Amino acid sequence: MIEVSNLTKDYGTVVAVRDLSFSVGKGEIVGFLGPNGAGKSTTLRVLAGFLGASSGRVRIAGHDIAEAPLAARRALGYMPESAPLYPELRVAEYLQFRARLKEVPRAKQTAAIGSSMERAGVAHMAGTVIGHLSKGYRQRVALADALVSDPPLLILDEPTAGLDPNQIREVRALIKDLGGDRTVLLSTHILSEVEATCERALVIDRGRLVAEGTIEELRARQNSSALNVRVRDPNAAAEAAIGRISGLTLRKVSTDDASAERRTLHLSVGDGLDTELAIEALVRALTEAGIGIHALIPEQASLEQVFSELTAHEKAGAGLVRAGGER
Amino acid sequence: MNGFLAIYRREVLSLWVTPLAWVLLTVFLLLQGAIFYSIITHFASMAEVSVDTGPVQAYFGQESIFLLMTLLLVCPALSMRVFAEERRSGTIEALLTAPVTPASVVLGKYGALLTTYALIWLPTLLYVVILRKTGVVDWGVVGSSYLGLLGIGAAYLSLGTLMSAMTKSQLVALLLTIFLEFGLFILGVGEYIFDPGLFRDLCAHVSMMGQMEDFSKGILDLRRVVFDGTVTALGLFVTTRVVDSWRWG
Repeated sequence: MIEVSNLTKDYGTVVAVRDLSFSVGKGEIVGFLGPNGAGKSTTLRVLAGFLGASSGRVRIAGHDIAEAPLAARRALGYMPESAPLYPELRVAEYLQFRARLKEVPRAKQTAAIGSSMERAGVAHMAGTVIGHLSKGYRQRVALADALVSDPPLLILDEPTAGLDPNQIREVRALIKDLGGDRTVLLSTHILSEVEATCERALVIDRGRLVAEGTIEELRARQNSSALNVRVRDPNAAAEAAIGRISGLTLRKVSTDDASAERRTLHLSVGDGLDTELAIEALVRALTEAGIGIHALIPEQASLEQVFSELTAHEKAGAGLVRAGGER
Repeated sequence: MNGFLAIYRREVLSLWVTPLAWVLLTVFLLLQGAIFYSIITHFASMAEVSVDTGPVQAYFGQESIFLLMTLLLVCPALSMRVFAEERRSGTIEALLTAPVTPASVVLGKYGALLTTYALIWLPTLLYVVILRKTGVVDWGVVGSSYLGLLGIGAAYLSLGTLMSAMTKSQLVALLLTIFLEFGLFILGVGEYIFDPGLFRDLCAHVSMMGQMEDFSKGILDLRRVVFDGTVTALGLFVTTRVVDSWRWG
């Protein structure tokens, strides 16, 4: 649906996006992730045809946006970042205008407007003047606008920004619901949003793609994973046993307040070592040493950690390798 | 042209559901009423009236300086928001990512301005109807006068549209437009100031007052029409290029 190759966009001396290449297949829900100012909005604006690329090619639904801009724009529904709307119009009037503009056939307009309002949850607000709506409702009207021509591709720039938790849940459910027959590309700087709605994520930082892959692939990118073992061990024999397993390092030992015998050992698994094999070796070593294991808690690498590692500016060089892909 | 019609209808709707058009209509009609009233009382007090002059000719022609002064107020105020507002509020992003060409965006918006301008003039037809009760009205002169006004309005609104596209601030757009149109108007006044020569001819050629004087006598000078048309087309063409250039900003 979207093919971007070597896209660069500069504003005079400031390079907002540099040499960006990625593609999004039909029916995928892809999250476009990055800290503020990373170039997310600029990229989406180029895809939507609002900004021209300085160099590189973008194809939307098979149409090159430079050569066939109208055909490309017909295939997409775009929701700009701050959901700009005409405050003087009523919701239904605005959507009628958008439907006409997007060349929805006259006979289908009423049905298209009705169903888009229904989906975005603004049907009961059809007669309200947009200027009187709350931020959350305006956001939804903008979403209804993106849906009104029933496009195969939706590009949503921070669709949940400024919404309350209930509304966020509703919009996320809607986006998930839209996927399947439609392709959705949404940008966000909130990681849980990507975890909740997207199958795949593209991570961008300072105009460059730093990682792409499924949520699991991204999670697996954390350099080392961690294990916590709670043991009954009066003699500190466990520490010695762990020391014999190569690749496992003891980071910290914390003792239980109730009993000095019980300790929690915080371990980290070194690079190149399979976590599952490490657990196996660990359990074997501890049982052989006669130490009782109370709990074994593998620490799930959170996307937050991966994200901050990928976009940490000090380590920019280390983050340039992609997870599941080729350069 | 689908986009053109949608934009045109949206613009006309937006102009008339917000106070702007109504405020302009009210101010405009108050001013026109005052001008027309003073012209009528002037003619009523005259003992003898020459053949080729009358209230209609005076209103649209010899005394057209008053009328043009109100246009210097109304036209820039009408056109100031047309692009500046969209760019300031960000709605231009939604507009330009729809499958429309810059030309249909510009023409749709401009068409709505011109329609509103014509609607603002419409009530002044009543003046002519009132005059007809007491005398004879030359409908040819009325027609050519309104044509002259339409030409001037078309040129002014085109320049205003261009200025509105140049800035995100409505106020700056308004001031730039007034400056430009007032300059054009003053250039026309040069006809009465400078010695005969090329420069005076130029001033006479671009004179809005000269245009109204001709048209109010029923003289449809093609040069005037070509001038108005050129200014309009040039303004709209440059506006289209400006809109297109935003993609590269």
